[in-house]
Amino acid sequence: MFTYAGIVLGVMVIVYIAAKSFKLSTELSMLAAALGGALAGGFGLPAQHIAEGAMTYLDINLIFITATLFMNILKDSGGIAFAVRGILSRFHRSRSLLMVLLTVLLLLPGALTGAGSVTVLITGGMVAIVLGTMGISKARTTAIVFIIAGLSAAAPPVSLWAMITAAGVNMPYIGFFMPLLVPCVVASLVTIFILGWRGGEIDLEQALQQLPRPPGGMSWLRVILPFVVFVLLILIGRRWPHDTPVIGLPLMFLCAAATSYVLSPIRLDFLRISRETIEQLLPLIGTLTCVGVLVQIMTLTGVRGLLAVTAVTLPVALVFATLFVVLPVSEAVLMWGAAPVLGVPLVLLFNTMGLNPIVALAGMSVIWPLGDALPPTAIIGRLSVEVVGYRDAYAKFLRSCVVPAVIIMVIGTLMVIFSSELSFLTGL
Amino acid sequence: MRAGSGNRGGRALLVRKLVLGGLGLLLLVTSGASFYRHRHLQEAVVLSPGVAEVKKLSEYFDGIRGTINDCNLYFFEGEEPGATVLVMGGTHPEEPAARLAAWLFAENAVMEHGRLIVVLSSNRSGTTVTRLGGAYPANFTIPTDWGQQTFRMGDRWSNPLDQWPDPEVYIHYPSGQYLAYVDIRNLNRTWPGRPDGTLTERTTYAFMELIRQEDVDIFIDLHEAELQYPVISTIVAHDRGEELATFVSMMLSDEEFNIGMEYSPQNLHGLSHREVGDYSDAISLLFEAPEPFLDATRGKTTREQLLTGVDEFVMKAGEHGLLFERIDEGGWPIDVRVGRHTSTVLQTMESWTILNPDRPLSCRGVPRYAEVIERGLGHWLHDPSKAAPGRVVTE
Repeated sequence: MFTYAGIVLGVMVIVYIAAKSFKLSTELSMLAAALGGALAGGFGLPAQHIAEGAMTYLDINLIFITATLFMNILKDSGGIAFAVRGILSRFHRSRSLLMVLLTVLLLLPGALTGAGSVTVLITGGMVAIVLGTMGISKARTTAIVFIIAGLSAAAPPVSLWAMITAAGVNMPYIGFFMPLLVPCVVASLVTIFILGWRGGEIDLEQALQQLPRPPGGMSWLRVILPFVVFVLLILIGRRWPHDTPVIGLPLMFLCAAATSYVLSPIRLDFLRISRETIEQLLPLIGTLTCVGVLVQIMTLTGVRGLLAVTAVTLPVALVFATLFVVLPVSEAVLMWGAAPVLGVPLVLLFNTMGLNPIVALAGMSVIWPLGDALPPTAIIGRLSVEVVGYRDAYAKFLRSCVVPAVIIMVIGTLMVIFSSELSFLTGL
Repeated sequence: MRAGSGNRGGRALLVRKLVLGGLGLLLLVTSGASFYRHRHLQEAVVLSPGVAEVKKLSEYFDGIRGTINDCNLYFFEGEEPGATVLVMGGTHPEEPAARLAAWLFAENAVMEHGRLIVVLSSNRSGTTVTRLGGAYPANFTIPTDWGQQTFRMGDRWSNPLDQWPDPEVYIHYPSGQYLAYVDIRNLNRTWPGRPDGTLTERTTYAFMELIRQEDVDIFIDLHEAELQYPVISTIVAHDRGEELATFVSMMLSDEEFNIGMEYSPQNLHGLSHREVGDYSDAISLLFEAPEPFLDATRGKTTREQLLTGVDEFVMKAGEHGLLFERIDEGGWPIDVRVGRHTSTVLQTMESWTILNPDRPLSCRGVPRYAEVIERGLGHWLHDPSKAAPGRVVTE
């Protein structure tokens, strides 16, 4: 079995590299690797598994599409420009206060929804413009948006890595709030202050001149109301979960988009914006679809099992020492699929070692999102690059992430190692 | 010149689109046919002579009528009066031994004392889909004395075609406990259910009505678990079932195979062993058998692995002390897993009768652990073509 799965894995890697060398896109290269793996594994071209895998991330794709549509409508109506100008005019004198405020803006959407992509799409672009006017380079701005978006996804109340792993070991999702909140808030503030502290004085006049002018009639009410609708829908679902229908995040974003469309002071071409939204997201949707196929074929052929069993059977010291590599890499390949594949066996391993599984899982959840900037998927990284409008080399953006990433890795790893000592955070 | 190359480029793009579109259509048709066959595979049940009546779940709660989860309920009336026991398979349809053990009761049991109610597909919706990303086979086949019988493989959750979308977080009713969003489609996280809830919540509510209206004394929820999961090869018992579960565990561990006993945690909500006991008069028990197919470290995901439980990767994890149940080259064959469940159910009836002699439960015709292993579970699956008229139903 080890030889078989090793050969299939080898074929997948070779096909992926070959496809890339033939200038195929990342998503098509992953699809080719998956099909190569299925053929090498003796499964032919299994239609059921290809289709099933392609549907794995359908819900996330729908969130991407509807959230981006919302943001694009808000942008085209002039709402984003209005908000950025307003924030700058009000807070430009205090750099520290502005940074804390921007951190909160970045943390909230992902914390509420569990998706870093939502942070990038909802507030990432707006925050990036403000950071740009503060004299922070595009690479550092992209790094700030990416890292805090990742931390927002790990932050409570909704942390999908923690929830999926907890469900996998039949552990109730309770006691996670502080173990997740403390490292996420600390790491977010450290990130924005490290990457954003150096920069020029904010020249308000010049900054306002650079920013687009909103159309007449735009107001804070027109900007905020769509967000209010979105937050209200979430809060109503939380406050009265058993008296309201489940509508799901995509429909919530559509409601916000519809509010923004109706409140726009200028007439918007809805079909054009929809078309541009899909064109903008096509690479991401393609990647997620192909990642699903790849994971399905890896599972079918035992490659997933090979990677999982290799990771959890390393010596314990090595497991601790390599968490900072294994977790982001698993995230890069499997995205949230890393939680059931690696998270479940690792939490069970830590539990049998007498560590606190809640704090250990929280520590892992903080590290996982770092993998979202790494190929082959790099979903949040690529989304951040796109939303910020960063045009330089991707590697340069990654270099900007290194220092805060190392700090987050250290925090997460220490939380795992000292999870028993930190168990007071759970409040249980 | 430029116009000519532009035309060629346009034609090439068109050809590429047509080819990819054609391949997409081919994938759509072939996979669609596969999904259709899976959802509509008819599973025959040859009724045991002991089955007095087959009812529908909607007879206990109308809110489930017309839905895919309006499953069959098999009623066995004892020759003598006694207590009532409900045996439920198919809570998680990715755990086939649970359904198959209940199947052996439906096709073979004859109650001597007391009443038996059997459910084979408690979350029927979950039997019509397999886990996205899990690469499960759509079905599996059990060899029988008369040929073979094919069963649907399922998922842990209800089919999104029947219940969608999921909320961004699942808040359990009535405890208010936060659970992973996907667990709103998990039948063993939605107890005791709600009459106006989601399909899965309405299903558990309907079962609660069944339990209450039929005065069920013992409720048994059959499951399988991955070997990396600490709650395995055990009976999880509600507070009121501690004595019975301990007795059963002791008897089985002494005479047939090792099985533990665990208390249902007070603060873990939505599970049958907690909520059925809290919201009805029934003693609630949950049985777990080992299923290496569910382990995250498993190797190839095949029908063979599902039915033999042989897996080198899971063994490797065991060598490193990562498992809560042993595994060797022999794996965990389906006969062993089913036999554990049939014996545990039968032992529960026997132990109950010792503890409650005025309200006995006894059953004949269903094989115990050693018999299932010796002859194979297929021996107790009957040929639908030879069944008496009116004695075959489909799941």
